[in-house]
Amino acid sequence: MDNPLQSVPLFMVGPVSFSVPIMASVVVTWAIMAVLVLGAALLSRRLTLVPSKAQAMAELLVATVDQQIHDVTGAAPAPYRAFVGTLFLFILIANWSSLVPGVTPPTATMETPAALAAIVFLSIIVFGVRGGGVGGFLRGFALPNPVMIPLNMLESVTRSFSMFVRLFGNVMSGVFVIAIVGSLAALLVPIPLMVLDLLTGAVQAYIFAVLSMVFITSAVEKGKPQTAPEIEES
Amino acid sequence: MTFDLWTLGFQTANVLVLIWLLHRFFWKPVAALIADRQASAATLLDEAEAKRTEAEAALAEVAEARAGLAAERDAMLAIACKDTAAARESLLAEARAEVETLRDTAKTARVRAAETLKANAMTEAQGLALTIAAQLAARLDGPATDAAFLGWLVQGLRALTDAERTALAGVNLEVVSAADQDSAAQGRIADAIANVLGAHAALTFRTDRALIAGYEIHSAHFSLRNSWRADLDRIAAALGEKGDLSDAA
Repeated sequence: MDNPLQSVPLFMVGPVSFSVPIMASVVVTWAIMAVLVLGAALLSRRLTLVPSKAQAMAELLVATVDQQIHDVTGAAPAPYRAFVGTLFLFILIANWSSLVPGVTPPTATMETPAALAAIVFLSIIVFGVRGGGVGGFLRGFALPNPVMIPLNMLESVTRSFSMFVRLFGNVMSGVFVIAIVGSLAALLVPIPLMVLDLLTGAVQAYIFAVLSMVFITSAVEKGKPQTAPEIEES
Repeated sequence: MTFDLWTLGFQTANVLVLIWLLHRFFWKPVAALIADRQASAATLLDEAEAKRTEAEAALAEVAEARAGLAAERDAMLAIACKDTAAARESLLAEARAEVETLRDTAKTARVRAAETLKANAMTEAQGLALTIAAQLAARLDGPATDAAFLGWLVQGLRALTDAERTALAGVNLEVVSAADQDSAAQGRIADAIANVLGAHAALTFRTDRALIAGYEIHSAHFSLRNSWRADLDRIAAALGEKGDLSDAA
């Protein structure tokens, strides 16, 4: 069994002096991208007002994502739908790709969760600036008072880092456990663990997407002008 | 444990590209379709609401028209009842008038029939009286009867004025008898008339069985009826006048 903490390049591209390694996680990601994009393209070409089963599933997914975004942010879901929904879909498919024999999930290697966490980190900045401007976004670090600026800046890094570690640790550990059990026991013994890994993968995808939405919403809300809470007289 | 920055970069780019591609090919069109369906449903609901409003308005119009129809029906029924009553009264008046006319006509016909029956009965009675008188006269003594009638003839002539008797003496007189008169009888009659008139008049004799019995004298301007037939005619005339008076009463 390969060390899951060790990324092995499948092939190299570019000149020998400046060759770029293409890891297996990248290739699997391309495959996942191809499946998702081709499926979406095929589905979007046949959209009708009277939906087919596949279209109904897609609409259910979109409606569920919208509802989750609305529940978390209370705002219109359209600006966040593609980002949060794609993160959820990609992580879910990537986690479940461990069911394909010989495929190691991209999220079981450190680079992919790190890339996802970095994207979330950047998206928090982008959405925060878009919601309250640069000044508003930066003022959000001074809440509740300027003393908290270093801690808030550190928190903005550590929470993305925690997302990276959480996703990587859960998926990697699942793959690792299944691999160890599979190497020690019979062929059917890892199946319950694989089922559990499916559940873990779905939960991790949901957690990653929801946490992203929460962090983005927090940044957007902190960037908006703060008003004193109104007390309604009954 | 290794951490490849190239892979980090590749995966970052991959995920960003995937976000863009899925936004382009999945999230945006599906969400737009959902929005379109919601808009269509809202439009259909609005149209249905408008249709329902129109239907309710049409229903109200129908109800109003129905109420108008009921009022119009009542008015037409009232007019029809009024016309029917007027027509009934008119028909009753016409019927009454026609009944009166028929009653008058029937009364007139009945009176006429009664008069006809009465006239026929009178005629038949006259005929019967003539027959009875003729049969009775046949049983009487012929000379005595002739003498009685001759005496009544003389009395009739004597009842005339002198001027009248004188005038009669100068004209031709026709003596009509019920039976043939022989020469002796004619001579007796001529003597009796000459005795009354004071002179012998020019007499001609004629027989008329219809007289039953008796003698009559006729001239151009004079007539003395002295026979049973004349008596029966007078009786019939008197009875007719009495019947007319009783009808008039």
